Amino acid sequence: MKKLFNWVLTHPKSVLLVLVLATVLAVSQMRHIYIETDMDAMLPKHSDAYINKQVLEERFGSTDLVIVGIINDEKDGVYNTASLKLIQELTDWLADQPHFRTLALNDLLSLATIKDIRGSDAGLDVEKFMEDVPETQAQIDHLKQRMHEFGVYEDVIVSADGSGTIFAVRPMPDSRHQYAEIYDLMKAKVAELEARGGSERFYISGRPVIEGVFGVYMPAEMKRMQPIVMALLLVLLFLSFRTPRGVLLPIAVVLMAEIWTLGTMAALGAPIYTITTMLPILILAIGIADAVHFLSRERLLAHHQAYAHHKERMVEVMHELWKPMLMTTVTTGVGFLSMLASDLPPIRDFGMFAAIGIIYALLITMLLLPAALMLLPEKEKHAERKPLFSAYVEWLGVTVLKHPKRIMAFFGILLAVSVFGAMKLDVNASLVDQFKPGDPLRQADEMLNEHFSGTTSLDVMIDTGRENGLLEPEFLQHLIDLQDEIEKDPMVGDSSSIAEFLQTMNQALHADDPAWNRVPETSDMAAQYLLLYSFSGAPDDFETFMTGDYRQAHIRINMKTDETKVVAALLGRMQDKTDNWFPEDMGYKVEWAGTGFTVHRLSEMIIDGQIASLATSILAIFLLCWWMFKRLLIAAIAMIPVSLAVTVNYGMMGNIGIPLDIATALTGAMALGIGVDFAIHYLHRYHEESVAGNSYEDSVINTNRSVGHAILFNTFVVVGGFLVLLTAALYPQMKLGALIAATMVICYLATCYLFPVLLGLGKEKIRV
Amino acid sequence: MKVIGLLILSATMFFVAPVYSGESGGLEIMQQVDARDDGDDLIQKMKQRLIDRRGNVREREMISFRKDYAKDSKSITYFLAPSNVRDTALLTWDYDGIAKDDDQWLYLPALKKVRRISSSDRGDYFMGTDFTFEDIKQTPELEDYNWTLIGSEVLDGHNVWVVEGEPKTDGLKKNLGYSNARYYIRKDINMYIRVDFWDRKGKELKRLVSEEIKQIDGVWTAMRGTMTNIQSGHRTELSFSEHRYNTGLTDRTFSERMLKRGYRAK
Repeated sequence: MKKLFNWVLTHPKSVLLVLVLATVLAVSQMRHIYIETDMDAMLPKHSDAYINKQVLEERFGSTDLVIVGIINDEKDGVYNTASLKLIQELTDWLADQPHFRTLALNDLLSLATIKDIRGSDAGLDVEKFMEDVPETQAQIDHLKQRMHEFGVYEDVIVSADGSGTIFAVRPMPDSRHQYAEIYDLMKAKVAELEARGGSERFYISGRPVIEGVFGVYMPAEMKRMQPIVMALLLVLLFLSFRTPRGVLLPIAVVLMAEIWTLGTMAALGAPIYTITTMLPILILAIGIADAVHFLSRERLLAHHQAYAHHKERMVEVMHELWKPMLMTTVTTGVGFLSMLASDLPPIRDFGMFAAIGIIYALLITMLLLPAALMLLPEKEKHAERKPLFSAYVEWLGVTVLKHPKRIMAFFGILLAVSVFGAMKLDVNASLVDQFKPGDPLRQADEMLNEHFSGTTSLDVMIDTGRENGLLEPEFLQHLIDLQDEIEKDPMVGDSSSIAEFLQTMNQALHADDPAWNRVPETSDMAAQYLLLYSFSGAPDDFETFMTGDYRQAHIRINMKTDETKVVAALLGRMQDKTDNWFPEDMGYKVEWAGTGFTVHRLSEMIIDGQIASLATSILAIFLLCWWMFKRLLIAAIAMIPVSLAVTVNYGMMGNIGIPLDIATALTGAMALGIGVDFAIHYLHRYHEESVAGNSYEDSVINTNRSVGHAILFNTFVVVGGFLVLLTAALYPQMKLGALIAATMVICYLATCYLFPVLLGLGKEKIRV
Repeated sequence: MKVIGLLILSATMFFVAPVYSGESGGLEIMQQVDARDDGDDLIQKMKQRLIDRRGNVREREMISFRKDYAKDSKSITYFLAPSNVRDTALLTWDYDGIAKDDDQWLYLPALKKVRRISSSDRGDYFMGTDFTFEDIKQTPELEDYNWTLIGSEVLDGHNVWVVEGEPKTDGLKKNLGYSNARYYIRKDINMYIRVDFWDRKGKELKRLVSEEIKQIDGVWTAMRGTMTNIQSGHRTELSFSEHRYNTGLTDRTFSERMLKRGYRAK
């Protein structure tokens, strides 16, 4: 190892050149970085939710529509000529936009496109509810009455009380990269309409919009948080070193590590997910520790003038530090790598690239710092200055020895409260809940859910296994039965299927007698109704409800929430029904899809991955500690602060009501990996102290004196870095930042306060 | 105009242009296309294949009878397959011009009742095909478009005129669903063999291609026509067979009674 260090020190320019070239290479890769906002892409490709979504889009078209709601709180709601004119205008405008696919009825649903089916003197009439904008009160009343009688679109397109109406429009296929643009376009149009001073208010939502906003927020957040974290580091570094090189060199190290990591991600084709936007901050906050250790040690040795030569001193620093640095990097890395136990690509990527990032940080520290210091002129002897917080550290060493019982009691109570809270831990993978409650998009979404059938899609695809299978009366009746069951759920706003339309046609062809609002009696009859319909309506009016061979049917469900709990409960209840009505042994196949189902599967995987990665990281870190300290007991003690901190983390989530989601699921393994470093540093020093023959009390005081500062600095950086996330625009980031910060504080307290007490247990005291 | 047009789509459109010479504009060419002899009556079989973008096919077979009454015409079509719509029959009385709506009746064997069908917009799609009611006319309503002769070229070995038709008003464009259509018309027989359509956003929407053009009973007839929706990937293939022109169909053939009675092969 020393040879290697010597080489670095004798070729500083070459080393720097290599570092710069590698950085340039990384930067050149960064243009390949792309942002992934598709929620379905967060699922592994083998997940049924992912596969079914593809199948759904293939068979029945995408159900991800941009939704615009118009609400008019005046007496007649939207049923007045002015509002209806506006509806016609916006519909025409939407149809003209190149961003939208508006080929079929289901590509653009609005009061101005939907069609009424009714019986006439001798036949079936299919015509738009609003062929022209109604001018007279009588025409408006007629429209209102038809909407109510037809029923299918009530609450879906027009709210039951008439106060609002929605537009649902389909973006062009493969236009995901334009979702943000679409949102801006819609906002501008809506602003233009609102500026006219009418009493209509507009709300924009729908999954493409939500994902588009994510696409805008994510890079903006990365750009915004970077300087805040950098400023924080600059301040902390300045307080610690008070020299330009002491501030700039560590910053250079972490910046380089950040660029390398992003470059690696780009080169490997890994996209940026919502949670991986936090990687830069993470690498800055965690990667800085090695550089700080290095410079502190170098400065201490320089101060004592222990080595005559610049180079010898540097070799000594490197030699002393590479092992503990490697160890802490490995334990932290193991914490992150345990996330690979999850099935979810964003969590896997986060873990993997965080681990890669901190390895880069270590490597760059060991190359850049010695090389740079060799090239920079030797500083004159530094004036000895007492580090900040010395008084606190001294006080700490003495105090912990005085109050072991209080400390034990404090942590005992904390643990009990946390265990209680952890039992209440919930999971929620909702997409909308990722926005803060005050976010305009979330408010628009809530408004739309309040007035209409709901913005979250849930889809059932039923394959009858045979051509014309869905025309059979029994099957159609079971579709209706299933819809009735589904609609019993208060969070389900509406559901629709081909069976509903066939019922309506049946009634229309029997003189509009409501008694005939039932499914056609024979398969032939259903086929002939559809043929009859095709003469008046467009053929693709039903393409979203059935395939052309009449084999596969689709029930579209609108839900008012995408909360995991609600969806999971509904799916659970429907299982028996579908097994009963569409038995597999009769050739039926029932598949679920849609945002609701994706959320459901995401949640399951978050929980499974959480348990697996936590178990993996606990075991791996424990084994590492065992290997490091060579004693089982010490390894067990080393695990106590982090285990406690992680328990408190989950306890807080349970008690405060923060659910596990794709971001907060990272906290456990992450806290474990970062926090265990404190314990390792502490125990390492304590061991040295006891080996040197010091008593228990002296060892505690000396340990505090020696590593107390470093641990405190680390805590500050990590806590500070993660608290920056509190300013995030997205909820998961905020929650994760607060949780990790709080968990790190607990971890610090457990290390510096609880450790000494534990080590003092028993008559003999524990020998480390 | 409507259904009948589909049934005889390009099958019946021409007589060899009488001595024709000199320059002519787009409108004149379209008028010649419109003024072809397509027989006084016609019996033919037709097969419809609706093919979605994944290649799933839905097939229908029918036999149809058509008779001209000056500029008006009547037609009756019986569905032969698939079995669940067999004996469904459609009767159309087709009036020239837009003053009077066409009359259409459909007989549904499952209900044993004749149902009248409400008239549709010209831009509405017809019977689950990729043809709109406008498309299935032998020629579009000439006075609704501005016709421009773009030029001549060679298409599939034939000299063709390329004529562009743009609906005259925004209202018409909306109603028809097109911003523009380009006709490729064979100079020798005054028959268009390809039409390209653009949607209202100015994007290419559909393409119609007529194939296997031959003379039957002295009438130039396309045996196949394919309309492809370029945007949705859906297409409709029509193939015609067993044409019999000018057999002297009686007026009784086009009555409600015959609609209910159904088709009986002789």
